[in-house]
Amino acid sequence: MTVRRLAAFLVVFALGGATAGRAMAEPAHRAGGRQSFENGIVGLTVSAQGWDQDRPWAKGAPQARMALATVVEGPYLLTSAQMVSDATLIEAEKLGGSVRVPARVVLVDPEVDLAILGVDAPKFFDDLKPVPMASSVPTEGAVQSVRWRLRQIEASTSRVSRVEVQVTSLGGLEHPFLLVTTDLRGGGWAEPVFAEGKFIGLTVSQDDQVARVLPVDIINNFLDMARGGKPYPGFANLGLRWQINEDPVLTASLRLSGDPRGVLITGANWGGSACGVMRPRDLLLSLDGHEIDASGYYRHPRYGLLRFTTITTDGHRAGETIKAEVWRDGKNVKLDLPLKAAHTPGDLIPDRVPEQPPPYLVAGGLVLRELDGNYLRSWGDDWRRKAPIRLQLRYWLDSKDQEPGARRIVVLSSVLPHAYNIGYHGLSDVAVLEINGRPIDSIAAAEEAFKHPEGDFHRIVLEPNGQMAQVILDAKTFDAATAEIQESYRVPAPVRTAAPPPEFGAACGG
Amino acid sequence: MRAPLDSPARLLTSFGRALLLALVAGVAIAPAAAAPQATPGAPRPPASKPPTAKQPAAKSAAPKPAAKPPAAAPEPMLDEGFEKSVVRIINYSQRGDWFSPWDVTGVRASSGTGFVIDGGLLLTNAHVVSDARLLLLYLHGDPTPHKARAVMLGHDCDLALVRPDEPGLLRNIPVLELGRLPPLRTMVETYGYPAGGDQISSTRGVVSRIETQVYAHSGVDRHVAIQTDAAINPGNSGGPMIQDGKVVGVAFQGTDALENTGFGIPVEVIQHFLTDAEDGKYDGYPDLAILESNLENPAARRRAGMRDDESGVRVDFVNDGGSAEGLLKVGDVLLAVDGSPIANDGSVLMEGLRFDYGLMVDRHQIGSDLRLRLLRDGERKEITVPLVAHPGTSRYASQYDVMPRYFIYAGLVFEPLNVEMLETTGRDWVVSADKRLVQEQIFRPLSDPKALLREPVVLLRRLDDPVNINIAWYRNQLVTKANGKDIDSLGELIDAIESNKAAFHVLELGEPGRFIVLDRKGADEASPKILERYGVEKDRNP
Repeated sequence: MTVRRLAAFLVVFALGGATAGRAMAEPAHRAGGRQSFENGIVGLTVSAQGWDQDRPWAKGAPQARMALATVVEGPYLLTSAQMVSDATLIEAEKLGGSVRVPARVVLVDPEVDLAILGVDAPKFFDDLKPVPMASSVPTEGAVQSVRWRLRQIEASTSRVSRVEVQVTSLGGLEHPFLLVTTDLRGGGWAEPVFAEGKFIGLTVSQDDQVARVLPVDIINNFLDMARGGKPYPGFANLGLRWQINEDPVLTASLRLSGDPRGVLITGANWGGSACGVMRPRDLLLSLDGHEIDASGYYRHPRYGLLRFTTITTDGHRAGETIKAEVWRDGKNVKLDLPLKAAHTPGDLIPDRVPEQPPPYLVAGGLVLRELDGNYLRSWGDDWRRKAPIRLQLRYWLDSKDQEPGARRIVVLSSVLPHAYNIGYHGLSDVAVLEINGRPIDSIAAAEEAFKHPEGDFHRIVLEPNGQMAQVILDAKTFDAATAEIQESYRVPAPVRTAAPPPEFGAACGG
Repeated sequence: MRAPLDSPARLLTSFGRALLLALVAGVAIAPAAAAPQATPGAPRPPASKPPTAKQPAAKSAAPKPAAKPPAAAPEPMLDEGFEKSVVRIINYSQRGDWFSPWDVTGVRASSGTGFVIDGGLLLTNAHVVSDARLLLLYLHGDPTPHKARAVMLGHDCDLALVRPDEPGLLRNIPVLELGRLPPLRTMVETYGYPAGGDQISSTRGVVSRIETQVYAHSGVDRHVAIQTDAAINPGNSGGPMIQDGKVVGVAFQGTDALENTGFGIPVEVIQHFLTDAEDGKYDGYPDLAILESNLENPAARRRAGMRDDESGVRVDFVNDGGSAEGLLKVGDVLLAVDGSPIANDGSVLMEGLRFDYGLMVDRHQIGSDLRLRLLRDGERKEITVPLVAHPGTSRYASQYDVMPRYFIYAGLVFEPLNVEMLETTGRDWVVSADKRLVQEQIFRPLSDPKALLREPVVLLRRLDDPVNINIAWYRNQLVTKANGKDIDSLGELIDAIESNKAAFHVLELGEPGRFIVLDRKGADEASPKILERYGVEKDRNP
């Protein structure tokens, strides 16, 4: 299999060999003992600045975050990807210390929400020790939660509530999270959690007293991949659409005898592992040797029943091939399933695009941009009610449907009013289908299309919206008007393009 | 349990709150939701989008009412004769239940106003007398209830004619005559029985604005409305707005967005309703069923081939089944309607005010001809458009005086897609309903000319039974195919199921790849038992 090219934001540095020569022995400590981790935790102060989604040429207001990082073998600092997203400056400081030193991102995988940082300041790590890593998380009992408060570590005994499969913050992966009930409020800033003196996970969010902990199993897999000495392969997802198969009638209609089992495949996403391998109306009976029940669960040796979609993250990584068994056209078919990396930027409407400034084009005062989750979220926490319904429908119905020839949705987000574009000032948030007869699926395509007017005019065809089907602009005065509008509205550059999404080869097919 | 309503005085004490809420719901202007805006059948969807956090609703949507009437305004004329002509109407109503479509809702009591017109009839709002099981009239100063019935309902213009059961009941009551559109800044007097009171009330206000409004009763139709700063409250609905001794409007709705503001239905809309009703049947409004763009941009006009002295709008989309099918083409520029030039923003000059050109279409009755001047492929021509209603636009309007259509098979409840069905998921169905259904309702008809001629069918819910309990999808699912046949109406679904002789029924749903299967024999056997167990009298109202 060809190693997939990852997007530019996935900064890859192999960590292989970095641990050589370091003492690995750590004393075992019981839960509640602080000495096992207090020299394995540092505080982070992160200055971050995202982009103004309405004026995509401008940056938004700077923010400051206080987070935690855990010392891991290398030595490196481990934190969540969210903590360092859009960072303009990252500083680390030691427990009880008064000096902050700059830290740099070595590797960030937003898909699994983990990041590794390095610190170049001499002697920074001298009095720090990598935390001892557990191999898996406990499914019950007491654990030790910590948080960073006034440059001190605050610790508290918490209780494992349950192991639950959830999607990652980017939405591209599913894996078990450990849900922990804790007395420490306001968590979710990459606080480490320990059990019996060993690191068992990072808190990536907290709702009231229930902390969502990214488990050490996933973190170990991430660190192993990072140390692999090769380009970081990433976690794989199936990219499947499926439904439960609890209905004996449906099972019988597919000529499978016996009780219902397996899940019914309804589709595969371009770029996902199942693309081109599994088909609609396949019944997926087993994956990686695990039998899948009619509700979509398999029996995990430690965690019990888990959703089958977590199999690809359980010790696996992109680039491996696992076995699958499907019931297809009345027969049992064995398949090899090459695992491909989860890659949210490969979606037609990426949910979030960390680090990447939004591509845009200001053309005759029309502000075009590529549609993503960041833009929809700019309507606020209540965006599901407030964002324009036509954009939301595209997001809810089509976001995974990137395909060859339809890589992104470009929207006319607003119009910068000028006499040149009179008649169009009320247009906003409608998808652009064509410009001058050329299909538009990226800002780069839009920029190119404006170089080829139809005679004396530019013709922009909009997605049907009940308001206006097409925008006609004067091509002769287009450049002058664009320049004037750019100056008037203080737009530093009329265009920002992005690297095209990765290529995934042929469409999945039926 | 509801207490019987045996005297007007008890209405307020026993039912005042319910009554008020009911009518508040009836008179609030529908929010500018995407659905009505996107209706291709509507004359012209408004250009504005729903208020968002980024773009708050324009506070200046309506000017503040004038503080004082101008000196030249007519003096108020509180004449005893008007009061006699104004009648209080009590409606005990019951609606179909779109979530349990074989059933009806509980009985609601509501109160409104009507007034006497020619022919022994009362004119009132449709929403005052909709879904009536019993209508009672109280004449001015008369405590005796008189039974009546709605003889004509125009739900799209929120007007109705009511006839008392007792012949000659209105014989000695002065008939109110219709006037004309009141000028801006003049005074009007509104009569009615607001808040369920049994004494007539009158309020005076200035005509502060005349413009098109969404009529909240249907939730989708737009007609001209008179805005006044007179307080029009629940119970005022259906009352006359009077100026110079004549009716110039029928009070019909307020808005939560503006205080002390009431709206009236102008005489032009009333006359259209009365003329339509003359043959004993109400047909409603004709519909070009097109979408068009303004041509305010000079480049757009040049590209359309227009001369400098021409103005108009560009046809973007023509729905099959509307008046324009086969007569207008995408790219045509509409220059004038019935001889009135259309401006580049789509407006025409009427009564000294600018209104959307669609109102010129609305002035016609179904079956009459509309004259259009258009520019097509560089050629200017006059065409005549025989006006028809579009059969498919009713899916956008609230339904009254009808029972839901449905089909139940194997405990699966199917209904046509329409706004009533969608509102079973909540009033905010645009965000709360299944996204495929929202897409089908709002956006598909904007790109598929035949979409409104089809009737999408929805698997609404399931009446649980062993025969259906294991199917994966059973709530708010669009049904696209049944047993291999495309489903474009409830009738087609029934045929596809009842004509199937195979061992299984296979229903394909809106989400690509999604389907459910029923064992035909088991489903046939279970169906009557399920109906009996759930108290469903009939398996269908097709």
